[in-house]
Parts: sequence; structure tokens; C-alpha cells
Amino acid sequence: MSRTLRQAAAGAALAALVLAGGCSRSPEQLAAEQHAVVERYCADCHSSAEREADLVLENADLLHPETHAAAWEKVIHKLDVGLMPPPGEPRPDRKAALGLARYLEAKLDAAAAAAPKPGRQPLHRLNRAEYGNAIRDLLGFSVDVEQLLPADSSSHGFDNVSDVLKTSPLLLERYLTLGMLVAGTAVGDTTIAPRAVHYAPRPDLSQNRWIEGLPLGTRGGLVVEHYFPVDGTYELRPELWEAAASTVRGLEGFKTPFEYEMLLDGVVVHRATLGGVEDDALSNRDQGSATASAQERIRARLPITAGVHKLGFTFVMKSFAIEQRVLQPFESDLPAGNDAYGWPRIAQVLVTGPFEATGPGDTPVRRAIFTCRPSAAIADVDCAEQILGRLARRAYSRPVKETELRTLLDFYAQGSGGGRDFERGIELALARMISGPEFLFRGAKRASGAPDAVRPVDDVTLASRLALFLWSSIPDDELLDAAIAGRLSDSKTLEAQVRRMLADPRAEALVANFAEQWLQLRNIAAKTPDLLEFPDWDDNLRKDMVRETHLLLRHVMLDDASVLDLVGADYSFMNERLAQHYGIDGVFGDAFRRVQLTDPNRRGLLGHGSILFETSVATRTSPVFRGKWIMTNVYDSPPIPPPPNVPSLDDSAPAAKPQSVRERLERHREDPVCAGCHLTMDPPGFALENFDAVGRWRDTDAGRPVDATGKLSDGTEVSGPAALREAILNRPEVFAGTLTKKLMTYALARGLEPEDMPAARAIVRAAAKDDYRFSALVLGIVQSVPFRMTGGEPPEAVAANK
Amino acid sequence: MFISKKHLSRRAVLRGAVGFTVGLPLLDAMVPAARAAPPPQLRFGAVYVPNGVRPEIWTPPPGEKLTLPPLLARFEPMRDRINIVTGLTSSPQSEHHSATSLWLHGGYLRKTEGADVRNAQTLDQHIADAIGQSTALPSLELGIEDMSGSPGSCAFGFSCIYMNTLAWRTPTAPLPMELNPQTVFERLFGDSGTPEQRAARWREKSSMLDSVLAAAKSLNADLGPQDRVTVDEYLDNVREVERRIQLAERQLDSGIDLPAAPTGVPSSYEEHVKLMYDLVALAFRADVTRVFTFMKGVEASPINYPQIGVPESHHIVSHHENKPEAQQKYAKINAYHLGLFADFVESLSATRDGDGSLLDHSLLLYGSGMGNGNVHDHRKLPLMLAGGAGGRLRGGRHIANPDPTPMANLIASLGDVAGIELAGLENATGRVAL
Repeated sequence: MSRTLRQAAAGAALAALVLAGGCSRSPEQLAAEQHAVVERYCADCHSSAEREADLVLENADLLHPETHAAAWEKVIHKLDVGLMPPPGEPRPDRKAALGLARYLEAKLDAAAAAAPKPGRQPLHRLNRAEYGNAIRDLLGFSVDVEQLLPADSSSHGFDNVSDVLKTSPLLLERYLTLGMLVAGTAVGDTTIAPRAVHYAPRPDLSQNRWIEGLPLGTRGGLVVEHYFPVDGTYELRPELWEAAASTVRGLEGFKTPFEYEMLLDGVVVHRATLGGVEDDALSNRDQGSATASAQERIRARLPITAGVHKLGFTFVMKSFAIEQRVLQPFESDLPAGNDAYGWPRIAQVLVTGPFEATGPGDTPVRRAIFTCRPSAAIADVDCAEQILGRLARRAYSRPVKETELRTLLDFYAQGSGGGRDFERGIELALARMISGPEFLFRGAKRASGAPDAVRPVDDVTLASRLALFLWSSIPDDELLDAAIAGRLSDSKTLEAQVRRMLADPRAEALVANFAEQWLQLRNIAAKTPDLLEFPDWDDNLRKDMVRETHLLLRHVMLDDASVLDLVGADYSFMNERLAQHYGIDGVFGDAFRRVQLTDPNRRGLLGHGSILFETSVATRTSPVFRGKWIMTNVYDSPPIPPPPNVPSLDDSAPAAKPQSVRERLERHREDPVCAGCHLTMDPPGFALENFDAVGRWRDTDAGRPVDATGKLSDGTEVSGPAALREAILNRPEVFAGTLTKKLMTYALARGLEPEDMPAARAIVRAAAKDDYRFSALVLGIVQSVPFRMTGGEPPEAVAANK
Repeated sequence: MFISKKHLSRRAVLRGAVGFTVGLPLLDAMVPAARAAPPPQLRFGAVYVPNGVRPEIWTPPPGEKLTLPPLLARFEPMRDRINIVTGLTSSPQSEHHSATSLWLHGGYLRKTEGADVRNAQTLDQHIADAIGQSTALPSLELGIEDMSGSPGSCAFGFSCIYMNTLAWRTPTAPLPMELNPQTVFERLFGDSGTPEQRAARWREKSSMLDSVLAAAKSLNADLGPQDRVTVDEYLDNVREVERRIQLAERQLDSGIDLPAAPTGVPSSYEEHVKLMYDLVALAFRADVTRVFTFMKGVEASPINYPQIGVPESHHIVSHHENKPEAQQKYAKINAYHLGLFADFVESLSATRDGDGSLLDHSLLLYGSGMGNGNVHDHRKLPLMLAGGAGGRLRGGRHIANPDPTPMANLIASLGDVAGIELAGLENATGRVAL
């Protein structure tokens, strides 16, 4: 049948059906109606002959779409976002398109309810962040896992996806070494070898002003919290930043010296002066000696007690008035990258030790471990069993097996030399505990040999999943007790536990690990704009931008606001520097506070400097990256990458006059190879063109007025950021749906399958009734089939193993 | 996402336009027969730079005798120890998200974001199979950039694993790159402390591994078939660590005075790279490992280089759009990377190793999986060989090949030099005459 003929026939069938349609139509009639829509608008390209996108919708079975759920889920998504039929082809009106989507959803959801397919819950190795948090929650101190463990690979946008968390000899070696280091530190082993730990502010952190965490009246420097394993002597060795010719800033040319201070828990423990007449003379005579002497002066070797201490390295604030400076200096104190003039800066700090350890000290960590001591009342082995049994239950997050306890006691015996050195024995057993698969792997076990039936996840596994999801860590005693007692699967208990966990400070992990990865905020650390174009840029501003976004995410997620606030909040969080950057008046001082936004363009994440900067390139904005970001994070429709070896259009036709970013892109879009994607991807990016590459408002680009108009994929015309935001908020279920799917991916630690979509939709529908509160999404996920149930492994996998 | 067929067919055309010409019989004739065994003191290393180099500035003038173009001027003092290889092309699949994993075998990898990643075993690991088993570490994998925070940059249907490593132990086992010089040092030479303390630690680790092995075996009994694969892999890795620790215990007194352990990751890129090279040289000298791979940046690297006057990111200037200013910056980064490598080559040549220098016994491959980064060109790869490979590699030559010659041919030939037979390499059509 020719195309026109078929369209005519389908049209006639549709008309006939509409005429025949009564109030209660049979399922067959409903299917036939939708069938007509599909035949008319979809089946030309998705025909058995053309097979566009390898998808055939010709003569599709609309009475039983569940037999091809994967294909129909794609159709639903394309219809919802308005990506299909493609721009330029005949389209059903929006009502009919969404009507088809809702019809398909209803069918698929009903089928899923009748036969749940939860998917497999694979064995999960703790990733780097989870390992670090688990150690912190088990023993009570933090380990710098980023320096000590190799990075994990990510998949589906997250680094906690079980399937790709592989092991390697390197990783196992690190676990072993780290296990011993952690155990020695926890117990306070005085034979522990000295170790250097390195801290460094970013080179582009400006140090001309006060740094948060240091006393007021100080300028620049670095503050760190460091865990000292034992009582002993430690070397604290800061280094001053040196310009290319080994010049330390501030040694020459200053009559009044700079006053340097080292602080331990806020108390000055070491002082030095830099610069002034003597240094100036020495440096003029022998620059090398002057530098060496200055670096030497600021170090100290100090006795420090075991436990966590706050170390500060800073300078006393000098008045700007002392010095002649240009009228409006750049905010950045290293704009040229290698500037020997200006005030001294701290480049890095090494904390090395312990030397001459004097004892294990009395730390909360030790007190929590050594809950008993061998004495006349209790034999050493019994005391060890008590300590290790309690720790292992938490570490393994389940009742400890007899054989497992025996193993730990064997290591206790080896380490203690048959009881002679009690603490060393506990240390070795602890090292074994946190180096083995019992701690590193989490997952549902199953009856061996039996086929993997669909079944609820057992309570103990559920507790581990919850803790990984909400805390990126292991369960605490309360959660574990509820699980072991078999109470956790009760939905009231489960809800109460989830609410308790969301209110716990450990839930910050959701912001740090889920939200930062979802929004790709971590990319910002690796980016710097062109400093000639943006000379005020520094790490302080970068941190402020990230902080703003962090605080909004934190507010929405942990104070339980509506997730739509991420797009539309008429408030934000800023300090003076950031407010000035945005051109907002009336915010004074370094402290962040909630600020009411009067300009609708600035509302929500799309008005945040962090997002706008992250989606720009060094010298200019990128509507493509911004559009891609919006298509990905709002519409869950990441564009496919550009085809390889397509030359950039600029190569062939150099521009005669300066062009705006938009003008250059418009030419790019003329190429039909590119246009397919760019037609849907660029417009939302264009709508943000009023924000420059670092997120400041602008009315012109390359001397011409900014053109911030565009047509979104669903046909909505927008102009400017506020209108784009409106368009997104007009269909709250789309953004909430995207967020839900991302959160599900993270919660389940696997990529989503078409079988998961009915659950995702149910969560969004339920959350809509609760104003899309974040807790509604979390509770929806926790109560959902894919989270609560497991099983249904493909039979071939079982066969393959036999 | 699904891709419409129209796009696919356009791509297929594009791909076809730059695909391989079939068969290069001439080269076959030049193939030397594979040597039976590796040279006795062979060391192998592969150093990768991301984002390509423009062939215009890399390619030496015609003629077998090597005349160095300005970009490579730093190698003048060691011109007779290096060869420049031109005319090679990576597989058409090679792009930012795949180039690193493809580089050391020249074939294809599986497009997936899931657990079913599949590549081919890489050249370094084939060589490690042959010469790495007698050293504590069969091979050492080093990197500079931590990409763990950038999941967004490799989400085009390809797992980030493909971007994050050069080395694949098996087609399904990528080896992570170690970024922290301090942990590299600890892997090579054990924990810090006195020799007695270190010996005691090795012993404790041995008994811990025995116990971990037993625990993992019993864990396996409770698991479904797919999870058992995970645990089996874990078990293999535990056995490998055990083997290393036994060797390390024997090598405790290698007779080399060790410098103080480095402390963490330096904040300067240059210091970081130099430290990694120093550790490789030290490991070669102490014979702790004979094989290394080193990635001086990940593809699409966002690192910028203000210290050499390039404030923009490497990736951005590699898309130079044929603008001279951007091309100059791109070249500056290329020269900077090359300079750091030249320092390393010099340090190997200054270190005695038996009857010669470490460089005499080394086979080093330097280069990228892209030519002109502006268009992600997988042809005209910038490639350099350095070292004498135990007398099997003569330097001072420009080894020009007809464009396009598959990279897999060079991999096969490097296998020949290393004395290993690499049969059935995907895309290979013959050998490159070395």
C-alpha cells in the first residue's frame, strides 16, 4: 500500500471508530482506535520495509502491548517528550499523542501488576565512597579513600553500579594495605610506621581574604582535620607557594613583615615572620637562601595527642591600605598563573609522623573498640570474642556465623602472640575483618541449586540496600536490629526507618554521591574558564557556585521540599561574592544564607552559576552543552554523540565579522547530518543565552542583542530562561519522572530496564499527590517492586552455570 | 536512545570513506619471522597521550634516515635511539571514549555501558604473560587524571572503563590505572618502615590472603550463577596477590637504596608525571616489574596548562578549528608531553643494567590513538618507538607506512620484537617492518 493510500485508509478507520465510539468501549475497540493513530503517524517509517531505528510498528498488536514492552516503553517516552514523530513530519495533536502514551502505560502497568518482574539484585562490592563511609561509621574516624584507593568506574551515570564494580589485584592489594593501616590507626598501634599525608588548596584558590574555618582576622592559608593515630611527635610542614624562579611571594619589597601562624585546634602553636627589611636584603643578595630560610621558618615538630585535630596554617590579615595597589584589583590573586608579586600563599601542607610515639592515647575510637579488658573477671579470648563479635556484626551487617568468628579469633591469637599483646591481637583481627569479602561484598544469597524465583528481599539484605541507598554506608545498630528481628519488611517500620535515615546527617551522602553525579557537578572541579576573558575567576568563586547548588539540593532533599523547587525555586543560597557575581544587591559577608529571588530568570538550577559554567567552554557559552544537559537531566533524552569525523563547519567558511555563539551554531545546524539532533537539543540551550560562560546575566553577545528564542521538542515556543523554566514546570511529571528514574538507578545500583518503568510511573503518580516531595520519591522507590523484590534470573544463566 | 537508520547510513558512508584499503601484501613480504623468545632483559613500556597530534607537525621529512621536525627537536641528543612510525591508523571505532582501550591491540571493543564490557587483551599484557611472571608485579599501570568524578563525559553508550585504562589483562578484565605515586611506591616496595617491619607485614598479609580465599570460597556456595562469576574473579585476583607477595618476600633485599616514599599526589601536573616516570625507572632498576603502561591524560582531557601558556583545556585546543593560535597551543601541549618523555628516556639511558643501559634493553612505545584531534581522526597516528629492545631494534629511522596501515600491524610487529607470537589480531593485515 502506498503511503497516501494507507494514511487515507487509516484515517477512514479512525473516523469510523470515532463515530461508533460509545461511552463504554470494549478493549478491542480501544486498541483499534490507538492502532489507527499508530498506523497513521508512526508506521510509515517504522514499517517492516523501512525498519527505521530497527523498530517496526506496522500492524502492531495494541491489544497486548506487554508482549513487546521494551519497544512500547520507548514509544511512550518519545511521545511524552515530543521527540516523535520528528519535527517536519505530520504529527497527531498533542492530546492524541499523549492519549496514545497514556493508553500504552495503562496496559503495560496492568500487565506488570499481574506479573512483577523485579530484576536481579547483583552482588555489590562497596565502592570507594561506600568503603570510606563504612569505615567511618564502624570505627569513628575518616580515611582519605580518594588518595588510598583506586577510582571506581561508573556506568549509567553513577559509580555505584554493581555490575561494573569489578575487582583487580591492585584493588585487593590496596584493601589489604589499607585494612592494616586503618586497624593500626584505630587501635593506636605505637609501632605504626611514619607516614606523610598531603593536603593542598587548589592553586587557583585566592588567598587574599579570609578562608572559612580559620579565625577571623586571618588571611588565606589552609585548614584541615587530621586524624593522628597515636600520641607522639609529628612534623607539620607547610610550604609557601613559589613562582617559577623559586621566588617566594612577599619576601622582597615589603617593609612590614607578614605574620604567619600555625594553629592546633584554634590555638597558635607556632609563629614566624616573612618579608620585611631583613628578608628583603637577604633575598636581594641570595634569593635561594632567602627562600630556603622562609620555608624552614614556618615548619614545626610538635607533640600531638592521638585523635582528630584541626590544623590551621594562615597569615594575620594586613590592611590593604598599607600597600599601594591598583584601584580595583582582580578577585583572583593568581590570574597570570605565575605571578611573583603579591602576598605569600600556602601551597601545600605535609603532616608526617608519628615520630617517637609515646602511647596509644585515649581516643573515642579506642574507647568504642575496647569495651572490655582482659582481667581476673574475663579471660583475654572471651573479651576478644566480645569485641570482635560486636564489630563484625556491624561490619558484615548481619548475624555473624560461628566459623567467621573463629577466623577472627585465629587472627587475634596470631596477632596477640597467644594473648601476650591483647591490643595487637585485636588490631590484626580487625584488619582481617575489613579486608575480606564478608565486609566488601553485599548481596542476597539464595538457596543453592534452586531456580531463582521471584521473591521478597530478606530483611537483612534490605537493611544493607537501604543504608547503601540513603547513606552510602552500612546499617547502624537500630536498622540492623529491626532487620534481624524481622520487623523491617513491615511497611510502617520501613517508612519510619526511611524517615529516620533521611533526617540523619549521614543522608548528606545522597547529595554528595547521588545529586553531584546526577547533575555532573563533579566536572566543575576540572574546569577553568579562560582567565584573560574572566580575570576574576578563582577557586573561591567555583566553590561558592558549587555551594549554592549543594545547599539547594540539600534543602530539597533533606528538608523535604518539592523536587520541582530544583527547577523553579524562587529562593537560593548565596554569600556576598556570589550575589555580586549575579548582580544581586543586599547580601553582605562571607556566610551563605537563603536569599529570596526577585528576578524570575535566576530561579532554580538553570539560574545557578555552577550549572551554567559547567555547560560552557573556556571562552564562551555552549548552547549545545546546555541543551544536552537539559535534554538529559530534565527530559531523560540524552542526545546521541556526533558522528565521527564530521568536520566542524567553521573550517570551510571562516567568518568575516565577529559572530555570536548562536550565529555560529545556526550555520552548523544547516548540515542535515547534524540537524536531526541539534533541532531538538539546541533550543533549550539558546533559551539560556542570556547567561554568559560563568553564569552572569548579559543582554548582548559579540556586540549584538542576545537572541534567546527557541522551539522546544514538544512545540512550545520559549524566549529566555524564565519562559524555559515555565515550560518545564508546565509538565511537572516529566522532570519528576526523570529524577525518579535517576534516583532509581542509584538506589538499585543498576541500569533501568523497560520492566522497571511501571514502577517508576507509579512512584511519580503517588508523589504528585504529595506535591512531589523528595521523601515521597524515596519512599516510593523503597516500597517498589524492584527495590523490595528480587529474582527471576534468565534461565540461560542458570543453564550456563551447570 | 535509539538511533534512526538514516543517521546510521550516513555514518556508515563516512566510515567507509576513511576505512581501510584491503590487504597490504607488500608488508607481508617484509615480515621478519617471529623470534622464538623474548630478549633476556627486556623491559616494555607504552606511554599514551590523549587528543592526538596534528600529523603535519609530527611527520618527519621522507627518507628512512630520521630528520626530526621542530616538534621533536628535544629528541635530537637521542635521535639514534628512537624511531618515528607514520601512516598507521587505529580502528574506525577509535574515538575519545574508546581510543585508549583500543590503542594496544588495534581492533574493536564492544559498545556497552553495562557489565558485559569486552575488549581484546592488550600488547602490554601479552608481553607481561611472557616476561612478567618472574617479577613481583607482572605489570604496572599508571595514570594521572582521576576521572571518577566525571561520569557525564563517557556516557555515550560506552562504559567509562574504556576511557580509564590502556591495559586489559583479558578481554573482560581491564586493569585500573594507579594515580597516586605514594601507593605506587607501596605496591612496588612494600609499606614504609624498617626491613624487619616490612617482612613481618608481608607475612601477616600472606596469612590474611589465605583466610580471605577460604571465606570467598564459602561465600560462593550461597550465590546465583552470575554472582559466582564476580566471586570467581575475586578469587583469581586474591591468588594473584598471593603470588606477588611470595615473590616480594623473596625480593625484599634487592640491594637498591630506596628514596623516601612520595607523599600523595603532587598538585603540579609536571611533578606528578615526573614522579611516575621516576618510579618506573626505579621499578625497572630493582626488577620489581618489567612492563608498564602510562596514560599522561585521559581522552578529552580537561587539564589545562597555564604553566606553558595554555590556559584552555587540552581537549578544547585539540579542537583547534584550523585556527593558527589554537594549533600553536595544541602543539605546545604536545611538545610539553614529549619533553617529559624525553627526560625519562634519558634517565633510562643513564642507568646501567647488566651489559648495557636500561634503555638498551627497553622497548618503548609513545603516542596517541588519534591523529588530528580536531576531527577525531583515527588515521595518521603520532607514534614513536624508543630503546634498543635488547639489540632487536635499530634507531634513527623514519618508518613510513602507506596510509592507512592498521595499528594492529604494528602491534603484531612489536610482539615479534618482544619474541611473542600474536596471531589473529583483529584488523591486522600484515606486519610493519621494524
